[in-house]
Amino acid sequence: MMSESSTHKVEQKRDETLTPRAFRRLLNWLDEGTDSGGHKYLEMRQRLVTYFDRKNCAMPDELADETLNRVARRLEEEGVIKSDAPARYCYIVARFVFMEHLRASQKDAALLDDVQRQTRGDNVVPSEADEEKEITEKMLNCLEQCTGKLEPLNREIITRYYVGKGQVKIENRRALAEELGITANALIIRACRIRDKLEACVRQCVGAG
Amino acid sequence: MAGVLPPPDMSKQLYDKEIIAQYLLGALPGAETEALDELSFTDEEFANALQAAEKDLVDAYVQGELTGAELEKFKSYYLTSPLRREKVQFARAFQVFAAGHAATQVVEVRAGKPAEPAARRKSAGWLSTLRDFATPRRALRWGAAFAALALLVAGAWLMFENRRLRERASQTQTRPDVLTPREQELQKELEGQREANATTAGELERVREERARLEQELKVEREKRLAEQQRAAGQQQPPAQSGAGIVSFILAPQLRGVEQPPTVTIPTQTRYVAMQLRLEPNDYPAYQVSLLDQAGNQTLWRSGKLKARATGDGKALGFSFRAGLLGPQTYVLRVYGVPASGTPEVMSDYPFKVVK
Repeated sequence: MMSESSTHKVEQKRDETLTPRAFRRLLNWLDEGTDSGGHKYLEMRQRLVTYFDRKNCAMPDELADETLNRVARRLEEEGVIKSDAPARYCYIVARFVFMEHLRASQKDAALLDDVQRQTRGDNVVPSEADEEKEITEKMLNCLEQCTGKLEPLNREIITRYYVGKGQVKIENRRALAEELGITANALIIRACRIRDKLEACVRQCVGAG
Repeated sequence: MAGVLPPPDMSKQLYDKEIIAQYLLGALPGAETEALDELSFTDEEFANALQAAEKDLVDAYVQGELTGAELEKFKSYYLTSPLRREKVQFARAFQVFAAGHAATQVVEVRAGKPAEPAARRKSAGWLSTLRDFATPRRALRWGAAFAALALLVAGAWLMFENRRLRERASQTQTRPDVLTPREQELQKELEGQREANATTAGELERVREERARLEQELKVEREKRLAEQQRAAGQQQPPAQSGAGIVSFILAPQLRGVEQPPTVTIPTQTRYVAMQLRLEPNDYPAYQVSLLDQAGNQTLWRSGKLKARATGDGKALGFSFRAGLLGPQTYVLRVYGVPASGTPEVMSDYPFKVVK
């Protein structure tokens, strides 16, 4: 199930300038010997997007793709990258890409305005209250649909894990881990993955609706 | 380019929630930020902790738990990114949704029983209706409509009841002479029936006494015969051992609130124990089972990859293991679902108590 959906997503995201062979080589290199069905690629891409977003870059998706394209081209040219493990090498390339982007944005006045707008929160135009409300309503409807697609146990986990405040939330999580017979850490990871899956489904639903 | 290694004291605090929160809010010094940037790629555990911490931070903001400098930093730094604002938007909707579900569903996550899909769909439908009521104007309109309907129904019922009682009262007043002979007749029948009941009761008592006497005689006879047999046979031989090679059991998922695990009796010369575990509804293509010693939580045996088979009311998992692994104590069979790619995930526990 994972390999089908992730392969489809992988096909959507890859750069057209990469040949299929180069792309397949990149996937294999990220997998480090075990076939993850594209899961490692998607995970790395997400980490790159989050990294560039944390750096307040205006186009984190494009910069993440640029990073992976550069890594793939290096693999094509040299056949193998032995200097670093895939994760670390991707980080190193990402840093280069970020620094280049920063220099370019400093030169370009239009991009500079964009960056300033990104970094000065009080200048960000807030959404209209009605538009926010409409989006929230859509999200709530989509949440119903999307949680309905989850396995019953995952549905129960996701609704219990994130409910409550402060000590009540901590106690809920402790009890939940105990009932499931898993460690707190395993529960954290599982809940995070379920929530990420749910959020992706909701975004797709809201976008389609 | 060489990566920046974390300073020595930093490594001890990698997963400290406070440090991660400061990192997410852009409040750490440059060198520390770079160190954590690299770890977010290279350290799986840190990457997971970071993701979880970010979700908790966003939820804290949505629930109004952030204060002071942290709140200011969240607004001035975290919310500047469109992607991060989308996360806050989702978190806001999700909190409403999760709180509603926690209030309406039966909060029961055992290692077993799944919630009924139909009940959940029904609950979700009610939830969407409840949300309709949430807007003030609609709530008032609906409330007034319901109140009017209730008054109408109550009024109609009262009118109908009133008329029925009046009719009945007038009938009683106008026909007293017709009813009296009928009453006398019924009275006679009732007395006759009572006499008959008394006779029957007496007979029943006699039959009971006779039966008790006969049972006593039978008991005495049996004791006499047993004593004679014992005298004739001498010392009794112990019964032969059944010596079954395999014993089989069927276990269902553990229900929450059930205190005692099921007991399985394993004869002495049993070599293998075959188990059939009824599975909860799930989509896993394969499974794995571990036998755990509940007292020490030690894994005593682990199966290979197993496939479930369809039964009348779901799926079941069959496997066997050596009976020698088991002593007279409580164990747990833990079932893991194995997705197509990825690590096995805990599904259900099946505790059982062994008696030998």
